[in-house]
Amino acid sequence: MGRCLGGSDTLFGLDARKRNFRFSISFHGSCICALLTAFVLFLLLICSIRLSSSAESRAVTKIFLRCAWFTMVVLAASIVTKSGKDCCLTFSFPSILIAVLVSRQFVEMSRIRIEGLLAAFPKLVGTGKQHTFVETENVRYVYQPIEALYLLLVTNKQSNILEDLDTLRLLSKLVPEYSPSLDEEGVCKMAFELIFAFDEAISLGNKENLTVAQVKQYCEMESHEERLHKLVMQNKINETKDIMKRKASEIDKSKVYFISILHDVHCNPQPRCYLHEPLYCTLFSQIEKNRGDKGGLMALSGPRRIESSFNDMSISNSGSGFGSGSGIGLSSDVESFSIKPKGRPSASATAPSKGLGMKLGKTQKTNQFLESLKAEGEVILEDVQPNVAQSKSSLPSTDPVTLTIEERLNVVIRRDGALNNFDIQGTLSLQILNQEDGFVQLQIENQDVPGLSFKTHPNINKELFNSKHIVGLKDPNRPFPAGQNDVGLMKWRIQGMDEASLPLTVNCWPSVSGGETYVNIEYEASESFDLQNVVISIPLPALREPPSIRQIDGEWKYDSRNSTLDWSILLIDHANRSGSMEFVVPPADSSVFFPIAVRFTAASTYSDVKVANVIPLRDNAPPKYTQRIQLIADTYQVV
Amino acid sequence: MEKSCSMLIHFDKGSPAMANEIKEALEGNDVEAKIDALKKAIMLLLNGESLPQLFITIVRYVLPSEDHTVQKLLLLYLEIIDKTDARGRVLPEMILICQNLRNNLQHPNEYIRGVTLRFLCRLSEPEILEPLIPSVLTNLEHRHPFIRRHAILAIAAIYRLPTGEQLLPDAPVLVEKVLSSEQDLSARRNAFLMLASCAQLPAVAYLLSQADHVANWGDLLQMAALDLIRKVCRSNSGEKGKYIKIIISLLSCPSEAVVYECACTLVSLSSAPTAIRAAANTYCQLLQSQSDNNVKLIVLERLNELKTSHKEIMVEMIMDVLRALSSPNLDIKRKTLDIALELITSRNIDEVVLTLKKEVVKTQSTELEKNGEYRQMLVQAIHSCAIKFPQVASTVVHLLMDFLGDSNVASAIDVVLFVREIIETNPKLRVSVITRLLDTFYQIRAARVCSCALWIIGEYCLSLSEVESGIVTIKQCLGDIPFYTATEEGETADASKKLQQVSSVTVSSKRPVVLADGTYATQSAASETAFSAPTVLPGSLASPGNLRALILSGDFFVGAVVASTLTKLVLRLEEVQPSKTEANRACTDALLIMTSMLQLGKSSFLPHPIDNDSYDRIVLCIRLLCNTGDDVRKIWLQSCRQSFAAMLAEKQFREIEEIKAKAQISYAQPDDLIDFYHLKSRKGMSQLELEDEVQDDLKRATGEFMKDGDDANKLNRILQLTGFSDPVYAEAYVTVHHYDIVLDVTVINRTKETLQNLCLELATMGDLKLVDRPQNYTLAPESSKQIRANIKVSSTETGVIFGNIVYETSNVHERTVVVLNDIHIDIMDYISPATCADVTFKNMWAEFEWENKVAVNTILQDEKEFLNHIIKSTNMKCLTPPSALDGECGFLAANLYAKSVFGEDALVNISLEKQADGKLSGYIRIRSKTQGIALSLGDKITLKQKGGSN
Repeated sequence: MGRCLGGSDTLFGLDARKRNFRFSISFHGSCICALLTAFVLFLLLICSIRLSSSAESRAVTKIFLRCAWFTMVVLAASIVTKSGKDCCLTFSFPSILIAVLVSRQFVEMSRIRIEGLLAAFPKLVGTGKQHTFVETENVRYVYQPIEALYLLLVTNKQSNILEDLDTLRLLSKLVPEYSPSLDEEGVCKMAFELIFAFDEAISLGNKENLTVAQVKQYCEMESHEERLHKLVMQNKINETKDIMKRKASEIDKSKVYFISILHDVHCNPQPRCYLHEPLYCTLFSQIEKNRGDKGGLMALSGPRRIESSFNDMSISNSGSGFGSGSGIGLSSDVESFSIKPKGRPSASATAPSKGLGMKLGKTQKTNQFLESLKAEGEVILEDVQPNVAQSKSSLPSTDPVTLTIEERLNVVIRRDGALNNFDIQGTLSLQILNQEDGFVQLQIENQDVPGLSFKTHPNINKELFNSKHIVGLKDPNRPFPAGQNDVGLMKWRIQGMDEASLPLTVNCWPSVSGGETYVNIEYEASESFDLQNVVISIPLPALREPPSIRQIDGEWKYDSRNSTLDWSILLIDHANRSGSMEFVVPPADSSVFFPIAVRFTAASTYSDVKVANVIPLRDNAPPKYTQRIQLIADTYQVV
Repeated sequence: MEKSCSMLIHFDKGSPAMANEIKEALEGNDVEAKIDALKKAIMLLLNGESLPQLFITIVRYVLPSEDHTVQKLLLLYLEIIDKTDARGRVLPEMILICQNLRNNLQHPNEYIRGVTLRFLCRLSEPEILEPLIPSVLTNLEHRHPFIRRHAILAIAAIYRLPTGEQLLPDAPVLVEKVLSSEQDLSARRNAFLMLASCAQLPAVAYLLSQADHVANWGDLLQMAALDLIRKVCRSNSGEKGKYIKIIISLLSCPSEAVVYECACTLVSLSSAPTAIRAAANTYCQLLQSQSDNNVKLIVLERLNELKTSHKEIMVEMIMDVLRALSSPNLDIKRKTLDIALELITSRNIDEVVLTLKKEVVKTQSTELEKNGEYRQMLVQAIHSCAIKFPQVASTVVHLLMDFLGDSNVASAIDVVLFVREIIETNPKLRVSVITRLLDTFYQIRAARVCSCALWIIGEYCLSLSEVESGIVTIKQCLGDIPFYTATEEGETADASKKLQQVSSVTVSSKRPVVLADGTYATQSAASETAFSAPTVLPGSLASPGNLRALILSGDFFVGAVVASTLTKLVLRLEEVQPSKTEANRACTDALLIMTSMLQLGKSSFLPHPIDNDSYDRIVLCIRLLCNTGDDVRKIWLQSCRQSFAAMLAEKQFREIEEIKAKAQISYAQPDDLIDFYHLKSRKGMSQLELEDEVQDDLKRATGEFMKDGDDANKLNRILQLTGFSDPVYAEAYVTVHHYDIVLDVTVINRTKETLQNLCLELATMGDLKLVDRPQNYTLAPESSKQIRANIKVSSTETGVIFGNIVYETSNVHERTVVVLNDIHIDIMDYISPATCADVTFKNMWAEFEWENKVAVNTILQDEKEFLNHIIKSTNMKCLTPPSALDGECGFLAANLYAKSVFGEDALVNISLEKQADGKLSGYIRIRSKTQGIALSLGDKITLKQKGGSN
């Protein structure tokens, strides 16, 4: 079979070549034919080289990436003494060197290397300089004098100095927190604590955005869950003890009973079994249960597990050849997909006029920038965003035509009221129950909001939409798909909104006084929306009992599992545009109460997109339609 | 492969005897004691002890502990112990800890889980990790972000192991899933990094799908994204078009760190002018907005790099760069000026000079402590502008001349040198400059400035009116003649007491200096007196002029300059003055001044009389004025100027040569291979090379590059440590890296017995220290062993390593000792030739405390040959220009300079004279800040100077 196929293949190839040959001879002179074939050969050559090169380069990168993690890392964080002193790190004669008090390395390096780096440091630090970094051929030291010590970060030279300075600042705040006195003795005493703190502040050489309080919290390791777990364990133990006692007494009782029965046994054997059975059953089940509880802790179970996983490994080893093969196939697929837009880069560079009005979120300035870059020969691809699935399920509807207009808010507000993120995404989707109602067009109305941009489904007639704001299919003879599912017709985004247009702002003021934290929260809603089902959830520190609420506009609920306080207001309208709440919890860091998450819905949208009319395309009466308009807070956080 | 070291802790009371105490405490029930003992155990381990028996104790008594601190310390302990045997296999007992780690990974306390996950990142033994993988994976979905963060890190670390793909085949898929649903910024960053390094394609896909949102990602994630972009574009530069948009959107990000990184990325990705301009703009903005000096300096460094690669764009940015001058930090100002000076073109010169002038004026109005130094920098900057573009000289020279009387002598000297050069090179400015100089002459306080200004007056006063006003100015500044009369004695008695105090200070600071040509001369402390003298004298003596004050303070060198200036002026006056009587009158006046200076010098009024040099010079002037001749006249009126012009020409010539030499460094040789994009990977290595640039940075930093030793070089450095007939033969090869020396010692047992407890004991002298504690070995008959010892170097100094080998044999009970040869560490490994400016050299020469003077003793006959020999054998650089060494005159003086890897300076001055019998004599002086260099360099020179054989 295989041979047969191969044969036909070559036959076909020969045939094709012949045809090609004939064609070229008949059409052009032989000279041109030679040129052409040469050109084709050249193209083929390039293609083959490209292919092989891409495969090779992939292999090469793989090898290299293994040893590189991130190109900007902190190599080590150390504390060294400022002046020379007798160093006792080694066993040789004491010599005048700086003493390395504590040093934590975040990448693999040999001892001699790190000691060398640290020993070289004091020579490099000049006096009277007003900057606190030194660069050598290979590394950069960023340091900060703390009394008689230097706090020191060793980074590679590509590392981002701004980040490193941030990290250094954090560490310099941490050191006095842990070390009682900022001298050699104090630091040596708390060396391990400092190492723990360094570990938290710099996760394997990468910067973490943490505050001193957070690092302390991480190092203290106070866990609510552990306490709960212990409580549960304790309860279980107590319970079991109770049961044990009860059972013991029962057994005692039954012994008496048993004996009495034994006395009777000769007279009447039947009742013995009858009474006897349930008692043993319960005892057995109790024992079984206990074993089940403790099973995880039993030492025996460990090795057994390990053995089994060893077996697993050998299996996976044997199968690895297959696995890797399929992996390559997959990755190459993905690559070819991602390369696709790149295939003709010049096209996008030379066609800047493509749908300018439809571009999303691009200011004039960036456009200029891009144009200028293009003019200078840089290849820039603009639409690299793959299509995101757009359908959203909703309740089944009974109306023949249902239009759902939804806007989702993604808002992140900082504590100080500044906006981190304010992003509105809207969708218009259509649901048509019967096929015959599908021949329609929709007349859209919307408010002119700055920063609003629409994107229509590829099948939608763009020109019609741009000129008349009518949504209709490109091919008027096709109906909109019918069925129970929503069809996304159009998406829009609004960007560049400012704080003034936020529907709701939440202010949280924790203040500590007298061993308690008072938290005042207030909300303020803008005039433009009536908000429904507002729930403001405030994370709380782990508490045993619910917080005491002093004052509240609305209702509250304490979720002890997630330790959040949910403040709900059914409706915010002109009657209660602002409201407040106050509660008291045991003392806690103010950062605990963030991020505050808010959920709400509203019946009007920012863009005010509406379907004004459904225009039938065939000569029947316009179908009945309903419109659902909703504004939903998708992510609405105060961080 | 050397063991990696994850932490260092200072610890001094280490003794193996403590091991028992530790063991006891660990077995006890007291948690505090346990913690303490565990800490001690870790510190002992860090210091090279190996406590093998402790492991079982810890497994039995510490593993079950509930205390969090104990658990954390335990992880540190596990981190540093050896987990493999000599052949790299995992020790069987390590399986014991797996169960504990698994429990920790399922611990209800989220922090215990987190730190355990973090510990897993540092493990590299798949045998230990494998059973833990299911637990790690369950932690990915934990509610607490702290755990998720670390779980992702752990997965990444496991996946990146050599066998990682088998351990966790679906890691990228898992992480990708996590990334799409994760909220915690740090966890997302970790996930993204993991994808970026292990599975680039999903990471790229994610980045592109989120392209519009990247601007709203947190800074951590943005940094990771930029990193990925750079990585991808480096390996596949064709794709960079996709990312430029993302970078641009990030350029307007609120986080400065991200903005800075963006700019760096932009520069590395594209060389299109717009991109470079955007990056440069960003840098300039950071330069303005950041208050931290560190940031400013680094940003300036980046701008400097841009300057070398994209000069034409940076030229446009020059004014933005110059804005950094507003920083109060001198380093920043200096760097800014350095950058700006190279960007000056004829188009922007006016603007730049205007800014510089404004800055100069600002230094006058505001009083800051470093103003003087800053002004000096500005003056130098303007000076070099004026040399490059002579047309600006006219606009700045007058402004600068205001600073002739500056209290900062250095900047005043710069100004006067500048004026001297301008007046020679710009003949058009001569008249106005001379007039101005004569007007402001009385303000000049410093002796050195004075003498230079006098020289200018003497040389460039040409017309009748100029010559006359020159004479008048000098006379005015000298005040009434005579300087000293008997009647004044009583009046000035107390003044002279004061003087005595002043000059006693100045005399004591008299010291030899190296002149510009490298000769070694004694100079009366002219410049030093200038600081103090004028402040005391004008008031006390009611002296009208600066010159008088200087002369009365005992500075007869200025007196001699005054005398020769007057001589020149008078000689010229005789040429231009039609009336003979006027000329004669001027001549007699000058003679009167000179004689009164001599009289002052000979009197007892001043604490020390006139020095012979100045005396001779003044007398020569007097003789000359008394009987003039054409030859002499020609020498005095023309030759001086000619030689000055020649000097300037020479300087210019040298600069041009330098620029030419720089231009010679071509970026590509004509016969270089050209990389064709499509054919690139045929070369095989080019992809690697591209990757290398970045990888190298990290590798160099972690010291991985130290490994590539040249085998041939190794053989050159082999040292025999014991004799062939010794029972133990040892030889070593010494590898010297920057800060450390590695001794690879081969020890061979030459006997037929087993040597027990064989120990290589090393000790050091000098700034060397041993890193490891010596270990004991057992050596079978006629077998050999490689022992490696690391030694740390902390300063440039000839060090000696000495030691012995100690061993026991079964039949002899005492220990036998074999003493080893000494190993000398050569200073030459640490110093490298360097250059510094003349002025810096002089300053350092004056400053440094240690001098080593070596008398020349050589068989070489030729001065230059000897100099070259010294340069070659000390590995230093000759600072004296070759032109100054030209010609045969029987003597030679030269300055040499080198810098050590520790940043120490080594200065050497050679002064030679050829004796009548053809031998060379003289001295080599070595100066340095530390004793070590001076001593060891001296030894080296003494050893090598003989010459001939090598």
